Order: sequence, then C-alpha cells, then structure tokens
Amino acid sequence: MSIQNLIMDLQKFWAERGCYLAQSYDLEVGAGTMTPDTFFRVLDKRPWKVAYVQPSRRPTDGRYGENPHRVQKHFQYQVIMKPAPSDIQQIYIKSLAALGINLQDHDIRFDEDDWEAPSIGAWGVGWQVLLDGLEITQFTYFQQAGGIDLFPVPVEITYGLERLEMFLEGKDNIFDLNWSEDVSYQDLRFIEEREFSEYNFSLANVRRLKDSFLLNEKEARLLIDKDLLLPAYDMCLKCSHFFNLLDSRGAISVTERVKMIAQIRNLASQIAEKYIARESSP
Amino acid sequence: MEFILEINTEEMPPAHVKTALVQLEEKFKEELSSQNIDRGQIETYGTCRRLVVVGDFALSQKDREKEIIGPPKDVGIREDGTFSSAAQGFAKSQGVRVSELKVIKTAKGEYLGLRKMEKGKPSADVLSEILPQIVSSLSFPKMMRWGESSFRFSRPIKNILCLFDRKKLSFSVGGIHAGNSTVGHKIYFPNKTKVKSFREYKETLRKMKVVIDQEERRKMIVNQVGRKLASLKATLHPDEDLLEGLVYDVEYPHVILGSFPEEYLDLPLEVLSTAMREGQKLFSIVKDKKQLPFFLGVADAYQDSKSLIRKGNERVLKARLDDAKFFWEQDRKITLKDKAKGLDKIVLQEKLGSYEDKTQRLKKTVSYLADKIEAKKEKQQVIQAAELSKVDLLTEIVREFPSLQGNVGGLYAREEKYPVLVWKAVYEHYQPVSLDDESPASLTGAILSIADKLDSIVGAVGTGITVTGSSDPFGLRRNAQGICKVIIERKLCLSFLRLMDKVIAVYGEKLQEPKEKVKSYCLDFFSNRLRYIFERQGYRYDLINATVSVGIDNIYHSYLRLKALDSLKESPSFEPLIIIAKRVNNILKDQPLFKINQALLAEKEERELYTTFSIIKNNILPLISKGDFSQAQRIIFRIRSSINKFFDNVLVMTDEIRMRRNRLALLQAISKLLIQVADYSQIVIEGQNSSK
Repeated sequence: MSIQNLIMDLQKFWAERGCYLAQSYDLEVGAGTMTPDTFFRVLDKRPWKVAYVQPSRRPTDGRYGENPHRVQKHFQYQVIMKPAPSDIQQIYIKSLAALGINLQDHDIRFDEDDWEAPSIGAWGVGWQVLLDGLEITQFTYFQQAGGIDLFPVPVEITYGLERLEMFLEGKDNIFDLNWSEDVSYQDLRFIEEREFSEYNFSLANVRRLKDSFLLNEKEARLLIDKDLLLPAYDMCLKCSHFFNLLDSRGAISVTERVKMIAQIRNLASQIAEKYIARESSP
Repeated sequence: MEFILEINTEEMPPAHVKTALVQLEEKFKEELSSQNIDRGQIETYGTCRRLVVVGDFALSQKDREKEIIGPPKDVGIREDGTFSSAAQGFAKSQGVRVSELKVIKTAKGEYLGLRKMEKGKPSADVLSEILPQIVSSLSFPKMMRWGESSFRFSRPIKNILCLFDRKKLSFSVGGIHAGNSTVGHKIYFPNKTKVKSFREYKETLRKMKVVIDQEERRKMIVNQVGRKLASLKATLHPDEDLLEGLVYDVEYPHVILGSFPEEYLDLPLEVLSTAMREGQKLFSIVKDKKQLPFFLGVADAYQDSKSLIRKGNERVLKARLDDAKFFWEQDRKITLKDKAKGLDKIVLQEKLGSYEDKTQRLKKTVSYLADKIEAKKEKQQVIQAAELSKVDLLTEIVREFPSLQGNVGGLYAREEKYPVLVWKAVYEHYQPVSLDDESPASLTGAILSIADKLDSIVGAVGTGITVTGSSDPFGLRRNAQGICKVIIERKLCLSFLRLMDKVIAVYGEKLQEPKEKVKSYCLDFFSNRLRYIFERQGYRYDLINATVSVGIDNIYHSYLRLKALDSLKESPSFEPLIIIAKRVNNILKDQPLFKINQALLAEKEERELYTTFSIIKNNILPLISKGDFSQAQRIIFRIRSSINKFFDNVLVMTDEIRMRRNRLALLQAISKLLIQVADYSQIVIEGQNSSK
C-alpha cells in the first residue's frame, strides 16, 4: 500500500473512463482547479475529460514538518469530465471501491459544500465527500465562470491524496505514509516541509516578492492585450503564488490585501472573458 | 386511487428537502382542485436523496358544465328576433341547432352560446400533463444545472417513480422519464427495482436500507441514542439543529458511540462540542454539565459490524481535537490585553476602520447605555467587557471555528480571572443570533449586545449599505431583531431615538450618509423589524399597526401597548371606542391646529366632555409614563358616553367660526391624548375597512 499505488489505481480507473492523463502543471498553484487543463477547458463548449495529479502549495499551511496533518504542499488528484456523465456519482463511488475500500463497511456521505471563486466570477454546487467522517474529496458541478453559464456542465472531482492514503494505511501521521514500498513520505517531504516553512514564514524577501508581483501583473496585462491568453494566465498564477508567499510572511496590510486580490481577480476574469469570446466566435 | 411520486436525486441539503416537501403538498392540492380531481389525504416524505408524495386521487375529473361563448347577442339575433348568419355559423360549428343557443351573461355583456356537460378526463392523463410543471416549478434556495440541459433543480435528478392506480404514469421532466422503479441505498442497493403500490414501495425500500419517513428516522435515531446513553448514564449536549439536519442527511440511520482520549477534556465544552459538530456532525455527551470523553454520530449505514466507522471517526476527531488543543494553549500564552494591540490591524469594513475603532465606539456606547438604564454597578464592568469583546477575533481558535466568536473571548477572560459580569458579557454579546436564540442572561451582556448590534447597523447604513428584498449580506435584519428582543425581554426603558443619536455621534465623520438620513432609515427599518417580531408572536396586524405607528422611541413600551390592546380587544368597550376614534379622525382630517378656549365652551355637553377629558388626561399620563397601558386603556374607555353625547347634541361644524374652531380644538386635544396609548384609527372592526 502506497501513495504511488493509489495514484496508479486512480490513473487506471479514470483512463478507463476516457480521461486523458495530463502531467502535473509546471507552476506553483494553490489547487488543481487553477491549472490550464481545468481553468480554460471548463469554459468552452467542447467535451473534455482529463485527470492528473497536481502538487498544490499553500504556504500558510506549513508547520515545519511538525504537524501530523498540515503541510505547505500536498497532492491533489484532479478529474474533470465535461459533460458530467449522468451516473458520475456511482462512477466516483466505484473509484473508491477500485482502491480496495469495501464500501459496505463504511459510511460515505455527500455533505453540502458549494464552491465559489468570486475572483473569477466562478461558482459551483457540490459536496465534500466524507468517508467515516474524513474529508477525502471535493465534488463539484461547475455552474458559472467569468459570470457566464457553463454549458455543458462540467464536474470536478478532487481527491486529497494524503488524506485518502492515511485512510487506506490507517495512519495518523502524514509523514508515516508510504510513497512507494521503499520510500516514505518522511523521506521525500520532511526536509522540504521544514525548509519551505522556514522560507515561507521567515526568509522570503518581501521587497523582491512585491516587485515580482508587480512585474508579473504588468506582464500579464501586456499579454492580455496581445491576446496571448495562456502566457498571460501563467503570469496570473505567478502573481497568485507571490501573493500567497507575502501572506505567509504576514507582510500584507489589510488595504494591500484587498488591492492585490482585486488585481489578480481582474487578470483572471479578463483572461476568462477573452477566452470565452475567442472560443465562441466562429 | 393510490398515487405515488418519488423524485430520486443526488444529495440535497436538508433545508432543500424540507422546502420541497412543503411546496409539493401545496402544489398538488392547488392543481388537483383546479383540475377538478377529488382527493383524500396527501402525504410527503423525504430524505436527502428523495422527495416522495403519496395520495388518494379520484380516477377521473368530475364532469362539469362548460360554457361555450359565441357571437354577441346583438350580432347573433337580428332586430326582428331571428338568428343572424353569425349565429347560424356558430351553432353549426358546435354541432347544435340554432334554437338550442342560449343567451349567456358575461362581464363583457350578453352573448349567444351554449352549455355542454363535459365528461371529466381520466386523472392519469391529467396527472401526466401537470406533473412536469409541478416538478419543474419547485424552487430552492440555490439551484443548479447539470449535463447538457438548462433545467434547474436542487441537485441532479437521477430517477423518477410515478404510479397511479398501480400503473406507471408516463411523462418526463429534467431529462428523466418517469417509470415504475425505485433505487435503494446508494451503497448497498443502487440498482433499480420495480414496485406496484405504496406499501410495496415502502417495504422494498426498507429492505434496501432506506427509511423514507422522516419521523420514523428521527425515532430510530432518538431510540438508538437513548440506548447508548443509558449505558453511560449521561445525556446529549442538546443540539436540535444538528439532529434535524441528520434526520434528512441519512437514509438509514445507525448511531455510533465513540470515544476520545481524556487529555482533551481540558478543553471547554463549547470548544469540544463545536469541534465535534463542525465537519463530522457529532454530538457531545455530558454528565452533570461536564463533557465525557465520548461522542455519538449518525452514520448512513445499517451496521458497523467491524467498527470501522467508529474507528474512522475517532481518528478524525482526535486530529481535530489535537488542533483545537494546540490552539487553545497557544492562544493563552498571550493575555487578552496584549492581544488587543492587534485590533487596529483587522479591518471591520474599509470605510468604517478597524476593530480597534469599533472597540472604542463600543466603550462610549455601553457607557451611555449604562447611564440611561441606571446600571451604576455594572457600568465599569460593561466598559471593560467592551474593551475585550473583539479580541478573540485574533485567536487561533476563532480562526479555526468562527462560530465560537464571543464565547471564546469570554472563556479566555474567565481563565484570566476577570469578574463574572465582564467575561459573561463578552461571552454572550453576540446573542441572540436569531429570534429563537436566547438573549444574554447577564445585564452587562445585554448592554454590550445592543451596543454591538446597533453599531453594526448604523455603520452599514451610514456607508450606504441597505437591505433589499431577500438580500441582507450584513445580517442587519437579524441584528435589529436581536436588539428589539433584548430590550423587550430585559424590559429596558430608554429612548431609542437618543440612543441612535448617540451611536451616530460616536461614529462622527466616518459616516458618509447624512445623519438625518441614517436616522430616519434606521427608524423605519426598526419599525418594520418590530412589526415582524410581533406578527411572529401571533398578534393581529391591525393592532400591531396601531401600536407601531405611534412611534417606537420606547421599544419596550411598544410591546406593552400591544399587549394591552390585545388583552382588551374582546372588551365590550373596545369597538365603540374605535368607532369614536375613527369618527374624530374623520372630522379632524385636513384641519389646521387650534387652541382650546375654555370660555367658549357653550353647550352643556361640550363642557362635560372637556371635564371628562381633563380628568382622564390627568389620570392616564402617569400611567403611560409607567408603561401601564392596560389601565390607561381602561380609563380611556370612560370617554365614550361624554363623547357620544357631544356628537349627539353639539354641532361641531357650526357656521360660527370661533365656536367651530374651539370644538375642533377640543377634539384635537382628545385625539392627541388617545394617540399616546395607541393609534386606534388603524384598528379594523368587522364590516369596516382599515382607514389608511
């Protein structure tokens, strides 16, 4: 039992359901939803099925590797299906069975948990999936993005890989998990957690981060003007990551926070709107 | 004949299920009656995954007489009494002889036409026709689309079962064709199974681990909980909302009893129960008001034979409690006083400054309030409480469990040995969060609660935020209702207008809107909230109008006024007084104000009325200021005979202008006195419309 087995099982399961297996995106993101394979592809009218592992960074969640549950980087398994198959809930339940969970012995609940990202005019309706009280998945039917009704309606399924693996291995500490038979989560990630916590909380250079934020924001605006939406979106993701770092440094005043979030939102919604306009023009 | 409808969906939130069941029952009643289909009882059942309607409907519509309208009478019948070609044509088109046409009176005039008995259609046909509309007209607090359709519902519909007289009805809605099969529990029995009757449906589902009747599920939970608790000799930390949600969250309730390590018992009950409720929806168990190291959970399962559900929940809970304990200890390393220095860094609202600003305002407002209600002993303590009230927003515990704000501040203040009236005030100052919640038990808490809520309302209104329709993102309605509830329950007598002046003054230049505008908006807003509260308590709307329209400066007195009116509304003197008040009002309509000149009171009846009025006035003014409106009301009844005699014998609108003005002045004085108790002209008496 290991995380890599879990990933392989999920890859096999979703590939068999017609998903293309994307590779992880090569920029820092806060969640699987933020990569272009989701952000752009849910906006247009074409069918789309994709599944991928996405490392997700949330600098403020760092605990120097000392907390058994919280880490500043974790791994999500992201699935998008558009349109959502009508039996998607049963398919999802089958995916759990495919991981070796005997569902007859457990309590699986779909608990109301709607998703909203006002920054890009996006929202969805869905649940957090609880397995014996443990939140293992976010399950969302996207409804709008860029303030526009999405059609057909995509479904997003995001598994928290560490959570799921802790359940499967019956362990109480994330660092005790097996990544493979020979390599543990501790081996792979402990030093990374400690060093990045140190960087995120103490050493990240505030001046340079603020400058980088502004430079990337400017670059994004130029690229939007030139209709280079994918590169513009990359710049937008970088801004978002710099913002998160500044946040974990406690270096953002309240007014700055409002302003910076508005700047990122502005970029994302302009990109989404332009993308939709481009995709819907003949 | 038996009718069954089951709409099977993915998991709906409990509130959605409940509103849908109410709407379904109403819509079926409405539609069946407008379709002329007789019916017996209609029952509704629901879980998070299904909405069920069961009824007994007639096999067909009642036969009914139908009018078919042809040409207007004067077009159809010529002056000589013969039928025109228009009438001939109409009769032919209806397959009758022209002599069979009748004159039918309609709102538009007289027409030629005929009456036919129309045979009722089979109910099955009618139902198939109206069911898609009924289902698609259900509305939910938030609706969604799915797949490739623009159809909206609470959550995706997966299956529809619809039987009438043991046969399936054919229709489709939301892309789903109705059929005669249902599905069981999503894990154990996800495949379709056919059924023929409600009895069979219910039994089949029971076997497939679904209990459709919410009351039955509630009983199952309560019974299982009772059995588990009996062995512990303990009770549930009561949480009706949690139980209510769980009743709908599961299709087959199985209660599990789990435990957690005793080291977490150091945490206060409030923190423990919140950590258990939020996320896992677990109940805390208490004995003698102390938390025991156990919890109860409700699983959607029929057994936990391997104890995996229990163990899983225990593991998750332990992690949550671990976090909570870490935060609880971390927070206490810095005293509230030191933490308070960070308040200026958290923004309340961009235009209104920080929580430090709010704290300073609250200190001024509570100090004013304490003076006004003569809470001398409590004054210093409530000021101290105001100073601490918002500090817990800087704690880790509140960041983790926002619903604990206030409570946590109070608990930390208690740990730091602040006086009881200080920490209780902090603890309770967000109460009541709704009209069903309890008001603060301490006077200091009540004062702080009023100050905090009014500060929020004035701040929002003063920066241009108002409440429209169903949108109230800042919870202004809830806050205003909370203030009224506290004032009434605490029997606080104070001038609401001056309190508002004070709060507006405390804000100073921060408010962008003109002060008078803020005040008049708030006054209107509070009048409406007060009306809402009174309506909710079941008072008659016209009595409420009669009360609220005389002003709400003293909110507690408004309540007493209403109670007095309500208790005397059956008195034989009540209606005559209303009639008199209305009569006085009508005479005074559009008249300028005049002054009484006693010397001009000529007639015996007007002198007598003046005397009666003066005596009544002297008697009731002290009662009114005491708030004894029942007694004041009873004394006012005594004006009746004098005023009747006055009207019978004295001509008010006499041509003699000085006399006329003097009599009007007398009536004006009486009207002015009456309105100190209530605006009687707003009260409706049978057979009369409200004079608005």
